[in-house]
Amino acid sequence: MSQFRFVVVAFYFTAVLIFAVYLRSANNRIFYELCAYNTEQTRLKQELGTKQLLLEGLINPAAISQRHDESKTDD
Amino acid sequence: MLLIGSFLALTGRCFYLQYFKGEYYLDMSMKQQRAYINQQPQRGVILDRRGRVLAASNQVQTIFAEPRVIKDPKTISTELASVVDMGAHEICRLILESGNPGYARIKKVTDANQCSAARNIRGIGVQSEWQRHYPMGHLVSNIVGFTSLDNHGLEGIELKYDKQLSGSAARNIFFADVNRRPIRLKQQSGDLADGVGIILTIDATIQQFAREELIKQCENYEAESGVAIVAEPKTGAILAMVSLPDFDPETRLSSSTVMSREPEDGLDEALPKSDIKIFDPNTFRSRVITDWYEPGSIIKPIVVAIALDAGVVNKTEQIFCENGNYRGKGFGRISEYRMGFGNLTVREILVKSSNIGMAKIGQRLGKERLYNGLKLFGFGRKVGIDLPGEVEGLLRPPNQWTGYSVTRIPFGQEICVTAIQLVRAFCILANGGRLVRPFIVRAIVDNNGEITTLKRLPPPVGYIISPEVAEWVVTEAMAGVVNEGTGNRAQLDNWQVFGKTGTANIARSDTRGYSDSEYVASFVAGAPAEDPAVIVLVSIRKPNRKLGKGYTGGVVASPVAANIIKKTLTYLGVE
Repeated sequence: MSQFRFVVVAFYFTAVLIFAVYLRSANNRIFYELCAYNTEQTRLKQELGTKQLLLEGLINPAAISQRHDESKTDD
Repeated sequence: MLLIGSFLALTGRCFYLQYFKGEYYLDMSMKQQRAYINQQPQRGVILDRRGRVLAASNQVQTIFAEPRVIKDPKTISTELASVVDMGAHEICRLILESGNPGYARIKKVTDANQCSAARNIRGIGVQSEWQRHYPMGHLVSNIVGFTSLDNHGLEGIELKYDKQLSGSAARNIFFADVNRRPIRLKQQSGDLADGVGIILTIDATIQQFAREELIKQCENYEAESGVAIVAEPKTGAILAMVSLPDFDPETRLSSSTVMSREPEDGLDEALPKSDIKIFDPNTFRSRVITDWYEPGSIIKPIVVAIALDAGVVNKTEQIFCENGNYRGKGFGRISEYRMGFGNLTVREILVKSSNIGMAKIGQRLGKERLYNGLKLFGFGRKVGIDLPGEVEGLLRPPNQWTGYSVTRIPFGQEICVTAIQLVRAFCILANGGRLVRPFIVRAIVDNNGEITTLKRLPPPVGYIISPEVAEWVVTEAMAGVVNEGTGNRAQLDNWQVFGKTGTANIARSDTRGYSDSEYVASFVAGAPAEDPAVIVLVSIRKPNRKLGKGYTGGVVASPVAANIIKKTLTYLGVE
């Protein structure tokens, strides 16, 4: 019985130590995840910006006028 | 003994490492632990008055190779080729021929999957860069300008507001783990701030109207260049400013459509001129502010307004115009453009555009009053518009005038003006004689949409000329030019247009005197006469007289101005 108790205590002590190490690095881990999410957010914003620029290129007065002239020529 | 010896050896080694190699290992650990990230700010946007994007920056990813860590370029190239859709030979060549052992640019990509796949290949990295885009292309190129590859403004608004548009960069120092992932911020030097946005007074739709009409006419008459400006006379806001030939700000190439050239080996027969692109730095400038010229008859209403305000002439008196031949001591011989005139009123002098009538008005004014009047209207000095490269024009002080000057300046010779100066002067007339300052930047906006600086200048106080004189010149004399005179091609059904034509000989560069075949054809107009909403100036340089279609301001420039006014007033909903 005392041997069993010894094993249990050792097991839990080891688990606590491992968990303590895990907690110590939590700050760094969260920081990295935050950086990763920020990068992803920036990437998505840029993707949206690219789409917006494409749209602006299609609906600006010069582009519309050009398409209008081309369709007139085709007719 | 052995134990003591080992202990002493270990101690010595520790001392050596700590004292002599301490700095070295500290440096190595710093390099291993730290990662540096330079953060480049996003360059500010440039918008038109309705919020349409004229210039904006976006990030693009560049896949690059680090040649010094690549042991087998062929294998890496083959692996990368399938990711970026490029030939393996091409990639291998770029790696081997790179002058920089740490960087060889492979390709710009926008696909995030390509970037992630490329990162997994040893020796290949992905870099983010800002790239400037100009969605409207040629339309506003001479106003907005363009940037260099490293995002510094080189022309136009990009140059004038480079500091505000650039923002400020920052450098972050992180602690990194063994996989070079940032785990903690150590230090940040500088504050990252994106560039501010700039809102212009330009309306892209009106700009398109003006550019379309001007291009058509310049092509029709094979002109060397042309400018068109549309302005609000009450505020001085510039709604459109076109300078031809222009260029594509993304490629810096311009089409050769409006430039007269000799045919080259059948090239002109093979392709329409608009398909031929050339690189010509002359197209980068905005001729509206950088090119000066003798305005010719277009300046006559200004001189008449000065004379009426000074009381040296009145609206009803008759001035004898010498039947087309006026000569005298000290001022040589003055003739008319086509036919001679007898007695004319001031209104008729403008309607028929009599040079002799204007010369006599100038003589009555005298040097000082004529000079001071023109200075008050803004000639001979910069307008102060928010664009680089503006010139002052040329108005010599009276002590440098010859006997010819007081008779020639009233009909637009011996004085050099820019197009923007002419627009300012006519805005003053149309605004009841009140001073107006043309401007092109409406506001500066931060990244939260808050207006940080409203660029509109406070309304100026005081009159240049009396409101009654200004109103008469606009509604009677200049309206008469359009209804009965040389500007009759500018008549519109729905609005009373007022205007003045100008056909100025261009001075010869090789000898004294003026060219008989080269002209600047101009027309300045506004509408409606009773409450002007817009002022339009069109100047077309060197229309080809040999085409036999005409070359005068009334024939070449006035139809362009009329079409611009018609479209603009319809668009603005002015009745």
